[in-house]
Formats: sequence, structure tokens, C-alpha cells
Amino acid sequence: MKKVLLGFALSFLTIVSVLAQSKTITGKVTSAEEPEGVPGASVVVKGTTMGTITNLDGTYSISVPENASTLVFSFVGYLTKEVTIGASTVINVTMDADVKLLNEVVVVGYGTQERREITGSVTSVNSEAIENLVAPSFESQLAGRAPGVQVTTPSGILGARPIIRIRGVNSITSGANPLIVIDGVPVVDSDRSAVNSSNPLANINPAEIESFEVLKDGSATAIFGSRAANGVILITTKRGSTGKAKVTYNTSMGINEEVERFELLTGDQFVEIANEKRANANQSPLANPGENTDWQDLIYRKGFTQQHNISISGGSEATKYFFGLGFTDQESPVRPNDLKRYSFRSNIDHSISKAVRLGTSISYSLTEINGLNNGANSLSGAIYNATRALPNVAIYDPANTAFDGYNVTANGATTGFGANLAGPDNNIPNIGFVLDNNIFRSRAHRVLGNVYGEVDIIAGLTARTQVGIDLTMADDFQSLDPRHGDGRGVNGSVYMAYNPAFRWNWQNTLNYQTVIADNHNLNVTVGAEYQYTKFYSFFGQGQNFSDNFYRQENLISGSYNNQFSGGGYVENGFDSYFSRFNYSFKGKYLASFSLRNDGISSLPEANRRGTFMGGSIGWRLSDEAFFNSELFSDVKLRASYAEVGNTEIGSFPYVGGFGPVLGGVGAGIGYSNVANNGLLWESSKKFNAGLDMTIGKVTVALDYFTNDIDGLILSAPTAPSLGIPGNSISQNVGAMTNSGLEARIASNVINKGKFSWNTDFNFTWLNNEVTALVQPLTSTYNRTEVGGPIAQLYGFKWAGVNSANGNPMYYSGQNIVQYNLVPGAIGWRAYDPANPGNVATTASGPTQEYLGNTLPKWQGGWSNSFTFGNFDAEIFIRYSGGNYIMNETLRGLLGQGFSNNHASILNRWTESGQVTDIPKLYSGQDANMFQTSASNSRFVEKGDFVRVQNIVIGYTVPATALQSAFGGAITNARFFAQVQNPFLFTQYSGLDPEANQYSGQLNFGVDWNVAPVIRTYSLGLNVGF
Amino acid sequence: MKKFSITNLKLVLAGVAMMGVVSSCEVTDLSPANLIPDDQAFATAARIESAVLGVYESAQRGFYLGAVQRGYPFGAANVEQGDMRGEDMYNDQLFYEVTYVGSYNPQTANNNGMWISLYRMINRANIVLENLDAAVANGVLTQAAADNYKGEMLFMRALAHHELLTHFSRPYSDNPSAPGVPYRTVAINDVPKVPIGEAVPRGTVAEGYQKILADLNEAEAKITAANTTFRARKGAVIALKTRIKIHMEDWAGVLTEYEKIKSAYAVTPDPITPFRGGTSTDNIFSFVNTAESNAGTNGALSAMYGNPSNGARGLVKISPLIWRASWWLQQDKRRTITTQNATGIFTNKYNNPTTLAEPNIIVRFAEVVLNAAEANARLGKLTEAVALLNVVRDRALGDPTLSFTVAGLGNADAVIDAIIRERRIEFLAEGRRWPDIHRLAGEGRMAGVPAKATSRSITNINFYNTDRAIPTDHAIPYADFRFIWPIPLEEIQTNATAPIAQNPGY
Repeated sequence: MKKVLLGFALSFLTIVSVLAQSKTITGKVTSAEEPEGVPGASVVVKGTTMGTITNLDGTYSISVPENASTLVFSFVGYLTKEVTIGASTVINVTMDADVKLLNEVVVVGYGTQERREITGSVTSVNSEAIENLVAPSFESQLAGRAPGVQVTTPSGILGARPIIRIRGVNSITSGANPLIVIDGVPVVDSDRSAVNSSNPLANINPAEIESFEVLKDGSATAIFGSRAANGVILITTKRGSTGKAKVTYNTSMGINEEVERFELLTGDQFVEIANEKRANANQSPLANPGENTDWQDLIYRKGFTQQHNISISGGSEATKYFFGLGFTDQESPVRPNDLKRYSFRSNIDHSISKAVRLGTSISYSLTEINGLNNGANSLSGAIYNATRALPNVAIYDPANTAFDGYNVTANGATTGFGANLAGPDNNIPNIGFVLDNNIFRSRAHRVLGNVYGEVDIIAGLTARTQVGIDLTMADDFQSLDPRHGDGRGVNGSVYMAYNPAFRWNWQNTLNYQTVIADNHNLNVTVGAEYQYTKFYSFFGQGQNFSDNFYRQENLISGSYNNQFSGGGYVENGFDSYFSRFNYSFKGKYLASFSLRNDGISSLPEANRRGTFMGGSIGWRLSDEAFFNSELFSDVKLRASYAEVGNTEIGSFPYVGGFGPVLGGVGAGIGYSNVANNGLLWESSKKFNAGLDMTIGKVTVALDYFTNDIDGLILSAPTAPSLGIPGNSISQNVGAMTNSGLEARIASNVINKGKFSWNTDFNFTWLNNEVTALVQPLTSTYNRTEVGGPIAQLYGFKWAGVNSANGNPMYYSGQNIVQYNLVPGAIGWRAYDPANPGNVATTASGPTQEYLGNTLPKWQGGWSNSFTFGNFDAEIFIRYSGGNYIMNETLRGLLGQGFSNNHASILNRWTESGQVTDIPKLYSGQDANMFQTSASNSRFVEKGDFVRVQNIVIGYTVPATALQSAFGGAITNARFFAQVQNPFLFTQYSGLDPEANQYSGQLNFGVDWNVAPVIRTYSLGLNVGF
Repeated sequence: MKKFSITNLKLVLAGVAMMGVVSSCEVTDLSPANLIPDDQAFATAARIESAVLGVYESAQRGFYLGAVQRGYPFGAANVEQGDMRGEDMYNDQLFYEVTYVGSYNPQTANNNGMWISLYRMINRANIVLENLDAAVANGVLTQAAADNYKGEMLFMRALAHHELLTHFSRPYSDNPSAPGVPYRTVAINDVPKVPIGEAVPRGTVAEGYQKILADLNEAEAKITAANTTFRARKGAVIALKTRIKIHMEDWAGVLTEYEKIKSAYAVTPDPITPFRGGTSTDNIFSFVNTAESNAGTNGALSAMYGNPSNGARGLVKISPLIWRASWWLQQDKRRTITTQNATGIFTNKYNNPTTLAEPNIIVRFAEVVLNAAEANARLGKLTEAVALLNVVRDRALGDPTLSFTVAGLGNADAVIDAIIRERRIEFLAEGRRWPDIHRLAGEGRMAGVPAKATSRSITNINFYNTDRAIPTDHAIPYADFRFIWPIPLEEIQTNATAPIAQNPGY
């Protein structure tokens, strides 16, 4: 597509030079990619404005003055070439493809633009670097690849969606995910499974992707309007090009493993600790020596992973095609989680005539995820359970055939007691039985397709219409065993659901490009877009089964006593009338302006439409006559400003009314939302200033940006005693600012003989500040208040363990108070440093304060790729920091109940004078000892890290060897070995500083029983036929 | 055949595209499929009935930690919290640990869940109340139908406010001038009403009780529909009034109310009957749970209180303290409404662990009878008091020779003590223990929350059936700030104009 559009755009740049006393030079411009001729290339006499462009076959003819000495050949995507005019009147030129950052063609929304003409902030990522990696979805591999783009994979569960933030968090309670556009169609980005985390982007095969463009500032995103408040990721899939059919086969196979496990007590250590907790509380011992079991052995495995992709592409002058087939099967290190995806894509472009083109892009995929319950405090949650289960108890009891040989109490209520007098806290089940017998399966069939037609009406004027659809047909199956675990209470349960999502999107654009008086380059786009999306669902559920037999594959009619059903329906619509005007003068002065009017179904009728505008300017300093530097070959300054709204505000936040409620006395209606007919568009004012330059072999891009968001649509909390539904009302009440700096430096450092080294480094600094709210927004761990960043950790400030008596101590205002862990005298007491053992004075409890920001302040990535002859290698490093993490996992693992603990509990206080950070043990006193109802500075840690993300080594088989071995049947072959996530450098004590229980904006930075992230070793092969 | 020219095709295609650009395509004028707008919710009699049912739903399935779960406030949680604040039911797991050991604070979930879900229920009731007059004026409802609805809603409002007063305020019996809770009579269903609602102060306990009585008196006057267990009718209103007045120590008032309904209900011969179906002569008012609508496996009484050997979860047992009490006679039939396993004894009042479909009893006639018995005793009418006490007790003993007599008990205090012990036995596992501790500690009859069997220590049936020492802990003196729950921190932080005062000590 890019080439097609571009070719026609440039064919109008018919520059005719009128000069006297000249000679005529003719020739042909070719390149390795287009050996039959490069059409549309510019040929200019150096130091003049005289020039021409090449014909469709790459030939040209130009009249040059007698005194002309040099011809300059240039074309998008190629290095500019200067050729001295000698005596010859024929100059044939072979152009070299330009791999530099600044000269690519960039997809910008409703069209393409040359990188050199861009005045907004757009980062491109070529998929080559990531397409061979093993990953459930593409976006996790974008992490660190582009400045300003933060992607974190918060757990090792396949299907869990990575958190993507472009230039920070740009909404407080509305959506904060970027808009994802695939081949021009904005796609539905909604998890449609109720039983698993089912990342919708995992439906897309990364191997079908040609390139990513990340639009970051207002001017770049403005063309997508209010949908783009959180930035845009444009994905272009692979398309065919003219030439012989090319077949490729890419495969890799490998192993997934957990990066690390928790260090827990052994059975014998547990007995000592558990009984000490009870003894200190004057309670009888419960634990007796038995086994030494690590229940984590049950939940982890070495997961096998494989992926295969075959593609065929090629085409004639008129028709180009790309077909791709893909299959992947990835097993998570956490049992029984896996993800399988079957995918197919067909992209076809056809020119009916010189002026009329049409084409389609269609993909189908089936993604199947087998998940599990990994709820952070679910009794059957794998990580929670395996780290709490009693380690002095055996996993198996071969004689217990009723429970498949697992150690389970006869009534099925909990894990067997072993030698203990009691079972584990909360009667947690035997996780081995649960993982073997409970099924969490989600499937999604997804069809993404579009059809376009394009007509050149008159020279320079092109009309285009495009209809796209995005259909997800997702179904769920959850089956719980009646004997033990989550299904026991209801005597077995099977839940099935069908949760489709459907979107259509229709875009019509008129584009006019022209050049006026040689130097004024105009590009005007006007258009209209309509988009409609609906989500609907229904489910059936059976409970209380006649026999466990019927629970295996599907709901079976008549096999259960209690039946339930339900469903829901939500729709939303968006339309927009837009225009964009690009102007450049000699490529030196650049300006762009866009204006649009958006309508959205989510706002009240009176406020439904909003008009937003944006503009940007650029100045190519290096094209000025006065600029004469050998060192700086290209320097461009640019600035942009735009206003956009935000469409991700929920479906109908303004509508007040009564929702359906099913009570015991019957189905009724319940007041469920407070009306706010004054709800308005929120507005983001985005400013960006940037500098692009090339210094010798080094390309540098710098950006500074601010994003002022005003009138944030916020679920503004209300006092609970008002009884307002959800204790909140959607109101335009907040304001927030993000500002930051981005830098990208890339260079071909060494290119000597067989060896070359390319490096690409990026850095982002981000600052977030909430500037207006009605009142602070507080959740369990976080608090957001005016003057600070969103979602700071908020809670109690730890003052250590009183070495005199082992009491935990906290700050209460300026004072230190201790929680007296003495039977009969429990409670808060004043602490006197002069007399630490004195617990005579009662005191009020600890007070809360801010304990650290949760958003990384700085982050980035550094890629280094090397080639040496036929060998290639890449090492990719990612870093992030400036944030704090609440290690709730550790706090839970230091619990005072009858559960296993983190091994560090062995450092507990036991005798007067002992200095430690673990208080005296005391059964059942978690809530006060560790102040479990909020964050606690005892468990707040820095989140800085440097991660070696990937190391890849490849070997390309020499063409001569292939020729002799296969007689040309195989044109290229490359073997590679890679390890993903091999090393992590951090001070954080938990499993991983990117582990995060929450992905929303107001709750963040909490590591709470999250599955460890994955390390992958794999071997692979790329072959071309 | 006419040759199709490319030029024409271009024009046709361009024309189609242009039409797309200029013609409008309506996609933004949508409305939700799951919300009946405010102005249409009371448009028909059927919808008004639905809105009333919605208030029942909010009573039975309120919010806990941001989600509808666990039977807050009156689906199950009122029973669980009421029991866990007392000593007669024993906590064996973490679920109710905070309440049982008294380690709650302004952020803990159980106490906050009660506050949030009770006020949500109150607001729903107030919204219905404010729309009834217009429905009558519009001819949608008859005056009689509107009056019945009004009575039901006032009952709901009173019931919820009383639950708040017993948890978050000091007892009336100690100091009626102590801070109460905001008494909400105005629906908050529009943005401008928020500051009006925020301005409502805590008031005093006495004001709260007066408003509860005013609501109940009006309800009593409005309701004409026949008594039925699962809807608030006149019988329920009057029964609740006996409870309110006993908290207010208005003994004569208790008897006045008792007289009104004494012939409408009867204690069942078998003490288990009220718990099997829930529509006996003893069942005055209950909130219904069904298989489709209940507190869930993490909240329903059958799941939480039932015996694990019968498929329940068994997080709460009967306390060995009451089980081994000498005054709970061995032949008492109510000892058989239990099941046991190797770890202890469980109530069997709730025995639907699979469906969780069981009514949550709010008030039974047995309570009204014992309220009247106590009122008589307080007024010195010991004969009447003992007679009423025996109405409840004798049916469980099945042996007339064991009946109490005035002479046998001796004096008024002994009669009152016997009635209070009878309440502990009769209402065991029904959440009534806390309100009694609240009022009795307020008057000084109790020292506060008594010592309980130490949490998570009763691990064996031999704590029940042998003389093994029962470890105890968790007593809270009446003067201790923990005797009443804290106001949720969220309540204070999110009231932008007039935050209410926190209870002292928190």
C-alpha cells in the first residue's frame, strides 16, 4: 500500500525545468529492490532548483547548464546519491536503500508520510526485531523499543494482557490504553472472556505484522481524534510486492520457565514457627513434625513452546498478494496454563487501471487459552495456595482414591491435616487436585478484515473508501470439580458463555496533493468516518451435578439440578468529520493542520459533539543556505499542539436510572447510576517540541512534551452514607498533567568488512501530576491527591521492631507507637526511646502518609545488533525506575495464621535486645502487626531495574552452500538461538519488579501473589523458498 | 453491448465515495439496553413494584469491597457480624477474624461493608418514597397501593438505621445524647443533591431512635396488606418496634406493641420449624435468598456456618462456651439443631450448602415474646414475664417439670438473666447476640464484650464434650473505644463539604 500510494503521489511532481544553454543528460535509475527501474525518483542539478523525476521505467532526461557539475538523485527510502557530471551524457545510477531512521515512509493515519516531512512525534518499530521471539502477543515485545512507550508484562500467566501506556497515564478513571489500528481499522480492544485473562491482542499473529508506528503527540494522533487521547499504535500487516512468489517458513521451539520461586519455610521450620505464633498468644500448639514439602513443585513446570509460520507473497504489476498461516502453542510455566493460536491472513491489492485500485486485508484466528484460578486471595488461587499450603503435610495420599490420590480430608473440605491438629487457614484446598480437575478454557475466533477502493479522479485528487470489520466470537468454559476446591460448595459447576464483539468502521476520504510553483507542496485530506461497536453476551451455568462424569467438555442437558443463565448488551457509536492540511515549502518549512468534529454515543445529546483542532510546524534547518555543516547532515526542528477528547469513558456514563436486579423476592429494578446530563468531553491539550538530526553516522531524535488534561471524566467518589450507586458519579472534575522528555540515538557504529554493529538507544523521562480533584481518591494501597502523581502508595510508616519486646512500631503523626503483643494487654502503646520496654501508656494507632510513587520516572531500551559474516546477534536491554512497589506478596507471606511463611520469618524477634525487622510472632494479629488494610512502608521497595530482555544469535547459511545443497530450491536459511528474559538486575526483593496485581490507573504498583514472569529458551529456523 | 468505460467507473466510484462523505450515518444516538431512565422508572404500577423489589434486593445483596457479594447487609452479613461481635459463636478462620478479635479499624472491610450497604439500601428506599406521591397523582397507583409501599419503605429505612446505630453508636441505654448516625430521609439521585446529603450531621442517638419510631409508626398506619413473611407488613413493623423500644428501655411501650400482634403469630412447637422453609407461624419477617440470588459461597449462612462434613465450609462453629454452659440443659431440643465432626459443633439452622437458598431471618415471634417477657420483668411483673419466657423455653424442653417459676428464679434480676440466657440459646447463630451486648453493656448489666473462645483454637470436639480448658481472649470493656465500630475513613474523606466526626479512639 505504502508504495502504491507514494508512487502516485509522486507522479504528480512533474517538474519541468526551463533553461537555456544546456546539454541533455539521460539515464536510468535502478536499485537492488527495483532492478527494472525506480519510478518517481528526483533528479536535480546540485545547487539549483532545476530537476526532473524518473519515468515509470526509471528513465529520465534532464537538461543541465553547461557549468553544472553534479546531479543529485534522491527518492524516499534510498540514500541520496550525488554523481559528478563528466563528459558523458548518459548517467545510470544504482541507488542504495536507506536504513536510516529519518528517511522511511511512515503510516500516519488515513495515509502515509515521509519521515522527513513529519512534524509530529511518531516512532516506528520494524517487526523484524521481534517477530521471531516467543511471545503470546506482539505488544509485550514492544517494551523498550520506542521512547515514550511503556509496556509491562505484569505476570507470567499466558493471556494476561500487558499494560501499555504511551507518554504516561493520561486518564484517571477512564480508559488509558492506546488506540490500536490495524491496516487502517481501529480494532476492538476488550477482553471478552469471563473465565480467563484473555488479551484481545493475543488474537493477532505477530508474524503477520510488517511494522508498528506509535503516534504520540497531539498532531500525530489528532487525525484519529478523540479515540487517540492515549496515543495510537498503527499496525501494518505484510503485503505482497511485484515479483516471483516468495515462500517463507519460520519456526522456533523452546522451553518456558518461571524466573524465580518464593523461598518458603520447610516443614520442620514451619512447625517451629507456627507453634511459636500460637504459644506467644497463649494458644495451644497445632503443628507437628511431618514431611518437608514444597507445594510450588506442583504448580510449576517446564512449559514447551513452539511456533510455525508459513507465508507466500508476490504478485504481478497489477495484483499483489500475501498469504500467511501461523500456529503457536505455548505452555506457561504455571500449570495448566497454555495458549494456542491458529491464524490465517490474506492481503490482496489490485489495480484495475492506472487510476482505480482496490484491495482487501482479511485475517482469521482462533486463540484458545487454558487458564486457572490465580486470584491473589482466592483459596484455589495457584500462587496464593501453593505459598500458603502447610509444608509439613504430604501432597499425595495414594490410598485416597476418592480424591485421585491427593491428600484431601475425607469430607473434601480442605487439604489433609497430616500430623497437625488443624488444617490450613481458610480450609484451602489441595492445589494439585484443583489444577488437575478444574478447567478454565476460553476460545476466541476473530475475523479482522477490510476492503478498500481508491480512485484517482483528476491529477492529484484521490477518493478512497474503506470498510472494515472486527468480529470476535469468544466462548468460555469453566468446569469445577464437585469433590474439592471451588466447585465443592455447589456440588460441581459448569459455566459456559458466548461473548461476541462486533465492530464496523467506514472511512471515506478525499485526498488532494499538488505542487504549486515548484516549491509549495500541498497535501489535503478531508473525510468522514463512522464506527459502531456492540458487545453482547449470554451464559448458561449448571450446578449440583448428578455425576462428575458430565462435567468434562460442555454443559450436558439434564446432568445438573440448578441452572442459571444471564446476559448483557452494550453498544457504542462514534463518528467524525475531519480534515488535514499539510504544507511544505521546498521540504524546508513544514506545516500541518487538522480540524475535526467528533460525535460519541457516550455523552448526553447536548454535549455529544466536540470540535478539536491541532497543528504542527517544522523547520529543516539543514536545508537553509546558511547551514553548512559537514558534521550535521540533517537537522529538523518541529513543534506541535493539539486538543483531543477521550472516547474511552464507558458506554453511557451520563445516563441515570434503574438497572435490573435479581433479589430473593423476585426480579426488580434498582437505582444504579446517578444521571449527569452536564457531562462534557474531557479535553487533552498536547504540546510537543522536537529535534531530529543526523550527526555523521548518528541519528538523534529528541522530544519534549506536555499533556494537560482538563475536565477529566472521573468516577468521582461520594460519601458512602449518601447511598449513591457505586459511591461515585461520573463528573468532569479532574485535571492532570503529564510532561516528559524522550531521546532516541541510533547509529551504525562499526561497519568494517564482515563486521557491523548497530546500536539503538532510547530514554524516556516522565512526570505525572494531578492538578485538580474534588477530593483525594483513596483505595487500599494507593491514594491520588492534587499536587502529586496518580496512585501513590499510601499507608502506614513502619518504625521498626522494638528490640526490647519485639513489638512492631509505627509512626502516629510524629510519634512512634508500638502494638503490644502480650496476651491480655494487646493494643497500641506509646514508645519511649529512653525506655523502650515501657508499655504502660496507651496510644492511638498509627497514621497514614505517602510512601512513594508507583509510576516509573524513567525508562527505556537499548538494542545492539551485530553481524559478522554469516553470523548475527542481538542483545536487547530494557531499564526502568524511579518508582516504588508495595510488596504485598511478602506481607501476606509473613502472615500470623496457620499457613506457610516466607523463609525470612525465621529472623523474627525472640529475645530482648535482638535487632530485626520481623516482630515477635503472634497468632492472628496480622491486621495490626502489619497494618494490612493499607500500604506499609515496611514492604515498600524501589522498583528500579535493568533487564536483559533478549539475547539472539543467528547464523545465515551461505547462499552458495544452499545452492549446492538444494539446487536453488531454498534461497535463504537462517538458524537462530535465543533466550528471552535471561537476566535481571534489581534491588527489589520480590520475584520481579514488573509484577503487578493491578492494571488500572488508581490502583497500581502492588505485587500481590502474581505468577512469576517467564524466561524462554528457544531454537529456530527461518527458510525462504 | 455498451463498453464500460473506465472513466465512467471512476466517476461512479468517486460518486459513491462522495456520498459517503457528505451523507450522515447515524451511529451516536444510542441509549443503554440495561438502564430504565429515571423519569420512566415509576411510569407503571409494575415498575413501581419492581423498584420496591429492588430495595429488598439492596437489603439482601449489597456491596462489600466494591462488589455485590457476601450478603451485606441483611442477606447474611448482619447475622455473621452480630454473632462474631459476641461470644456464643466461635470464629475458626480468617474471614471474621477482624470482627471476632476486635481488630477492626476505619479501613477494614467488614465494618465498612455494613455502613456502605446499609446506606445504599436506605437511598433506594428513599428514592421509592419520593416517587410514590407523583405516581398516585398520575393515576399510576391507587392511594392504598402507594400507602403499602410507603410503609414497606419506611420499615426498610428504620431497620437499616437501627442496624447502623447498634454498630456505630453508643447504646441508647447509656447516653441518648451520644453521637448517632446521619439519618437519611432525602433521596440522593442527582448531582445537586450531593451537598444537601453531605450536610446531614450525625445527630444524637436519641434523635436516631425517634426518627426510627416515627418511620415505624407511619409504616404501621399505612400498611393494610395482609401479613406475609417475605414482605414487610404491619406485623413486621410492630415486631421491630418491640426491638427498638427494648433498646430504648421503653418497657411499657414494648408491651403495647406486643399486645397488638400477640394473637397474629405463634412460637412453633418444634424449634427447628422456623428454619425449614421460613414461613411458619413464628416467622414474622425474613429476607429471602434463592439459588439464583444469595450471599454466595463466601457469605451465605449455610456455607459459613454449616458443617464441612455436609458440604459446607464451616468457618464458624458454635462456641464451646455456650455449649458447655450448665444453664443450657442437655435435654433442650435446640441442642439438636446442630451437627458435629471431629473438630467441633456447627449450627444446623442453615442446611442448604449447595443452593444457599434460605431466608435470612430478621425477626421472629419468639423474639417478640422474649422482648415482652423482659419488659414485664423490668416492670416487676414477674409472673407475666416467666409465663412468656416459658412459652419459648418449654417447647424446647418437652418436660413441664423443668418450667421456670417465679419462685424458682427468685427475683427480678434472676428472671431478667434467665430471659437473656434464653435469648442466647434461642437466637444462637441468628446474629442477635451483638444487639443484646450493646444495650446490656450500655445499661451496665454487662461489662462489655465478654471473653470469647480464643480465635482458631477450638480444634477438636473434645473442647465440647470433655472438660478440656477453653482458652479465652478478645474481651472488650464497655469503655474501650473498640466497643463500637469506627466510621469508615472513606466516609470522612469523601464528604467534601461537611465530614462527620469519627468515633473517639480511631
